[in-house]
Amino acid sequence: MAARFRLLERSPQARAYKWIGWGLFILGVVLFAFAYADTAQITLLDNDYAMSLTRVNKSISFMIAILGLQVIVGFTGQLALGQSFFFGTGAYISAYLVANHNWSWFLSILVVVPACFLIGVIFGLPALRISGLYLALVTLGLAAVFPSVVQLEQLQKYTDGAAGKSVSSSLVPPSWLPLDGIASFLQSIPLVGQYFGDGDLSSKEEERLWAFFLFAVLLAICMWLIANLIKSRPGRSMRAIRDNETSAAVSGIYLAKDKTLSFGIASALGGVGGIVYVAEIGIASPGDFTQLLAINFIVGLVVGGVGTLSGAIVGGFVIAFIPDWASSTVNVPGVPERWLQGPTGTLFLGILLILLTFVLPGGIVAGVRKVKARIIQIVPQPPPGATIPPAATDGSVVASVAADADESPDTSDGVSDVTGEASGEDLRSSATSDGRSTS
Amino acid sequence: MELFVARLFDGLSNGATYALIAMALVIIYKATTLINFAQGEMAMFGAFIVLVLATERGLPIWIALIVGMLISALIGAVIERTLIRPFDPADHLPLVIITLGLFLGFNAVAGIIWRFDPRAFPRMFPDGNVLSFGVATLSWYTVCVVITVIVVAGGVNLFLNTTKIGLAFRAVSSNLESSQLVGIRIGPTLQFGWALAAAVGTLGACVFVATPLRQLEPSVMVRVLIFAASAAALGGLDSLWGAVVGGLIIGMVQSILVQYTTFIPNEMSLATAVIVLMLVLLFRPSGLFGTKRVERV
Repeated sequence: MAARFRLLERSPQARAYKWIGWGLFILGVVLFAFAYADTAQITLLDNDYAMSLTRVNKSISFMIAILGLQVIVGFTGQLALGQSFFFGTGAYISAYLVANHNWSWFLSILVVVPACFLIGVIFGLPALRISGLYLALVTLGLAAVFPSVVQLEQLQKYTDGAAGKSVSSSLVPPSWLPLDGIASFLQSIPLVGQYFGDGDLSSKEEERLWAFFLFAVLLAICMWLIANLIKSRPGRSMRAIRDNETSAAVSGIYLAKDKTLSFGIASALGGVGGIVYVAEIGIASPGDFTQLLAINFIVGLVVGGVGTLSGAIVGGFVIAFIPDWASSTVNVPGVPERWLQGPTGTLFLGILLILLTFVLPGGIVAGVRKVKARIIQIVPQPPPGATIPPAATDGSVVASVAADADESPDTSDGVSDVTGEASGEDLRSSATSDGRSTS
Repeated sequence: MELFVARLFDGLSNGATYALIAMALVIIYKATTLINFAQGEMAMFGAFIVLVLATERGLPIWIALIVGMLISALIGAVIERTLIRPFDPADHLPLVIITLGLFLGFNAVAGIIWRFDPRAFPRMFPDGNVLSFGVATLSWYTVCVVITVIVVAGGVNLFLNTTKIGLAFRAVSSNLESSQLVGIRIGPTLQFGWALAAAVGTLGACVFVATPLRQLEPSVMVRVLIFAASAAALGGLDSLWGAVVGGLIIGMVQSILVQYTTFIPNEMSLATAVIVLMLVLLFRPSGLFGTKRVERV
């Protein structure tokens, strides 16, 4: 099927499209932040759904952790599912540094990233010999162990045991930032101004906004780094390992190095996510970093789209908001109230996980891309000297574009997508040899 | 010495329940080369069904147990048919995702239906102690649990070795394609494996909570699954007796190493199981009794 609009890569139109797209995206993010700086509620069928910036901030921490999972599961194809372990480690280290040594939140990145990277590498070394399902098992076990590790008596004085490590330091916006000015400007716009609240921002709201912008920038930096990583030599090696380990080794890829590197990066991202989490929540408690959180990260990974960077964003939103919204759903016509109490969010996530594996194996991002490919398509520049193929209707060109997607990423939507359309299929073909003995 | 024997008995009863869940994992692994991460939750769900049948419907506990096991077997068979069979068994990620989805689903449904307050499970075994010297007491519970495990392992083995469907199951687990070529119907055979595993798992969960020391609640099996998985890996993932031995060893490790030695704190029992699992996979991936994997490229 031909796309409605076709743009040549690096042509002025494609550039304009890209810049306008990014500009609108950033503007949207800023407007959204100001609109929801105070806790807003959306009411639907007598249910109140909270839509607050605090929860968005929490979801950013999940996004960064899921981004790490994208590296190790999505791009390297290793079933390392214990991301909550590193998430918790990062949270605890930074909580300790901030609470006991008066570090600032962002300074603690300097410790958390190397520490988590190192722990990830240490756990990655045995993983060189453990593959597939077994690795999934060990890493899930690791995630289950974390809460009891931080409650160890020997660690009590660093982690505060079962009560959790609480931190009171908050992110205060610098005085030069005219948050109030922007807010009152937005409020003065006719018609839509009412959506931005009224009056000055309270200090709580200012802090929330400032934290949101900081976290968003941190997330953007992480995404940018990972996008570059995936396109670089180690990133290509990782994808080769995912697609076929044996042939990757035959092509001269040093499996041990690239796999441990991937483990380290994934764990470091988990740690960064942990910093954001504890900076937002203000407490790191053992009950937060359980096996269930590890499984929730997997849900986020799969729902967003395995092997897509923007999938991490979708996934983070899903696992931060769905459990909350599900528990605030108390009225559904035709469903007795009894069935709407208890862990409905978990049930919903479980159903979503199974359903998406059947219906949309590439996650929500793959679905969106399919729709987008019908509307707009960016075609790579033909090599110099080649004749430009006749426009639009030629099916073979479309096919070759799809096959090329890995090499020439389409960076046009809100967040750069790296592996293109093929990623969903790639992942399915990444079968490692199964455990059946052939006799 | 007395303390040591007491710990030994503790380890025996824990290990026996791990062995039952490990057996369920092994049966599913033999059938579909898949580790069922939802096995613990399925077993917990089955135990709740038994509890409801016994307390609310007033059935005698052993009849409730058998009915509950049959219902779980049915659930297992349906899951295999609808959720597992559509996927390529060699491709691990979708299957892991499906079983994780089942994990969340069963856990949540149990939480919604039966809530999170712990419930006492009806007594299945006689109270009291068989023998005691000093602080070491061997309770009837421990004896009965160990007997149950041996009977179940023997029964499943006998079943697989003497019946026609057992033969088909062994053929399929040894070589899927060849057994297809000789005319074995793969689908129903694997379905049977899932049903058997679900029934054994339910028995395991019931036995686990059938002591006054424990109560049934939706998250009771989350930790047990990790212990059972290490037990299964230790015994070799495709060996039934290996699962029994592995379960007993893990139980012993948990109670003797963790509670007898003082330098490993009590909370770390789960960590020791994970470490055992890791060591086994690193140095002897086929476990104690498992078949060595041959990978062909």
